[in-house]
Amino acid sequence: MKQTLTQSMAWLHTWGGLVFGWLLFAIFLTGTLAVFDKELDLWMRPEVPAQKVEQSQALQRALEYLQAKHPQAERWNISLPSERSPTLGVSAGNQRRGGGELLNPQTGEPLAVRETAGGGFFFRFHFTLNMPRTLGIWLVGLAAMAMLVALVSGIVIHKKIFKEFFTFRPGKGQRSWLDGHNASAVLLLPFHLMITYTGLVIFLLIYMPAAVDALYGDREAFGRALRGAPVEQQAGRGGEQGARHERAERPRAAPAPLAALGPLLAEAEQQMGPLAGLSIDHPGRSDARIEVRPILGNRIELTKGRSMLFDGVNGAVLRAPAESRPSQLTQRVMAGLHFAQFGGYPMRWLYFLCGLVSSAMIASGLVLFCVKRRRKYASEAPAARRVSHLIEALNLAAVAGLSLACIGLLWANRLLPVELAQRAAWEVNAFFAVWLLSLLHALWRPTLRGWGEQLGLSALLCMALPLLSLLTLPEPWAQPLHQALELTSLALGMALAGLAWRVYRRQEAAPPLPRRGAVMQEAL
Amino acid sequence: MAIIAPAWWPVVCRILAAIVGGYAFTYACTAALARVLPLPAADAVWVASLPAFALYTLAMLWAFAARSLWRAWWGVALALPLGLLGFWPLLMERLA
Repeated sequence: MKQTLTQSMAWLHTWGGLVFGWLLFAIFLTGTLAVFDKELDLWMRPEVPAQKVEQSQALQRALEYLQAKHPQAERWNISLPSERSPTLGVSAGNQRRGGGELLNPQTGEPLAVRETAGGGFFFRFHFTLNMPRTLGIWLVGLAAMAMLVALVSGIVIHKKIFKEFFTFRPGKGQRSWLDGHNASAVLLLPFHLMITYTGLVIFLLIYMPAAVDALYGDREAFGRALRGAPVEQQAGRGGEQGARHERAERPRAAPAPLAALGPLLAEAEQQMGPLAGLSIDHPGRSDARIEVRPILGNRIELTKGRSMLFDGVNGAVLRAPAESRPSQLTQRVMAGLHFAQFGGYPMRWLYFLCGLVSSAMIASGLVLFCVKRRRKYASEAPAARRVSHLIEALNLAAVAGLSLACIGLLWANRLLPVELAQRAAWEVNAFFAVWLLSLLHALWRPTLRGWGEQLGLSALLCMALPLLSLLTLPEPWAQPLHQALELTSLALGMALAGLAWRVYRRQEAAPPLPRRGAVMQEAL
Repeated sequence: MAIIAPAWWPVVCRILAAIVGGYAFTYACTAALARVLPLPAADAVWVASLPAFALYTLAMLWAFAARSLWRAWWGVALALPLGLLGFWPLLMERLA
């Protein structure tokens, strides 16, 4: 490998970009969709009524329900309706999320809502690839590092970075793909770098525990040191173990009425901003504790775990919301920049569009790899040609196939019978089945034809999404949110259709790619 | 043709140097940085850890840019003294 710096960086960019590009496209596309995870979630649960209900009113319904159904529970969890999700969720016991029930926030009746993988699927896939959590997180971390390496090596090999900033030569084959790849990469370079680095920073101490290992020995010791562990905090939110221990030793506390929650929530909202929910430990007893959580996105800082603790009987503040020390705040702000919970819908759209450009940049790089190689097809040995064909097929399945699988998940949500057991799992199965089929299709069809067909089908499914709702829902297009999502799908479908049309025209215009037989003859 | 059919051994060697060697270097460097920063421990952890991915990126690029295979492994060679610097109090404890 005796080469110049540019040559070695070009090699690294080309091959590293190819191998991790497939994975990175999947991570970026699902991440882009996950920007609207709650919105997708609501679309996938069409039974949830869209109604604006005051949080205090919804809370009252939740308390009545829990009092009637779980009066003896150790803990009640309530997630309140907020701007992005008009649902009221309740559960009893220790789990904070999942396993609970959705209530109609107006009437307090349980809602019969279809079981679905929901928008959360894209979110989880984005950082775990639907694998066991630890394995997935490390794989995605490795891919993110490859992204950083590809970005920096891309800058090194891209000599005329500012001149080509303004260069685009459409309709010229390889040249256009290179221009497109360069333009989308350079134009949004700050976004690509920011989103990749901040993504890694979310799991900073998992990926790089060196400093914690050196100074504290292990993560738990560090966690204890960070919290400072005042006594009340331990009792309030500390591990379940502590609480269980306490319970076993002490007799059950005497009954006592719950404090009025209205003023309590008002105070929490004043200190932390709009609220997401609360949990009540030991409801109806003298040792009741109320923990109130804000929604993410009241500030840029990622505030997971931030809360206020109140005495559940007299309403006194037991713990004010913790403020991060500046060093940790830096990490949390970086994580928050990735999560994009701040800034409301304009910010979400900005992240969504930037994410689409990032995905397109990765996809154009993958295509460019193949377009460059295609010209050498004729001169390649049969073994190398088979590799080329495999790479072409994987490219097609990774880019067009994944898009097809994503829109396929939404179709599965509408088409699978509502009463199906394990319905959420079947939706996910449908997602992977579509993806697998697209790979088989890609291996079978000639490249350009395969692209045209898969892009065309994705376009069709995206554009027909409003129609699907019309056919499968009793009240289609009733909710503004559903309309917005389906219109967005329509627009994306039109863009995909444009792409498919271009591929189709190219296929008509271009001389057919040399077939295997032709190459054999030439070789002979 | 060099791009299409690389001789396998040097390439594998560099990939390992980049991913494994680069990580070892970054790990040791972060530990050493956390140890020498004149900050309270709770701050030093974040300040030393946050630049880790930039460091790792550079280490990976180095493994591929280095002129010879031996140079590609320099990061690992550096990891040993840096690691000692980062972990010496723990090591002394273990040995004592």
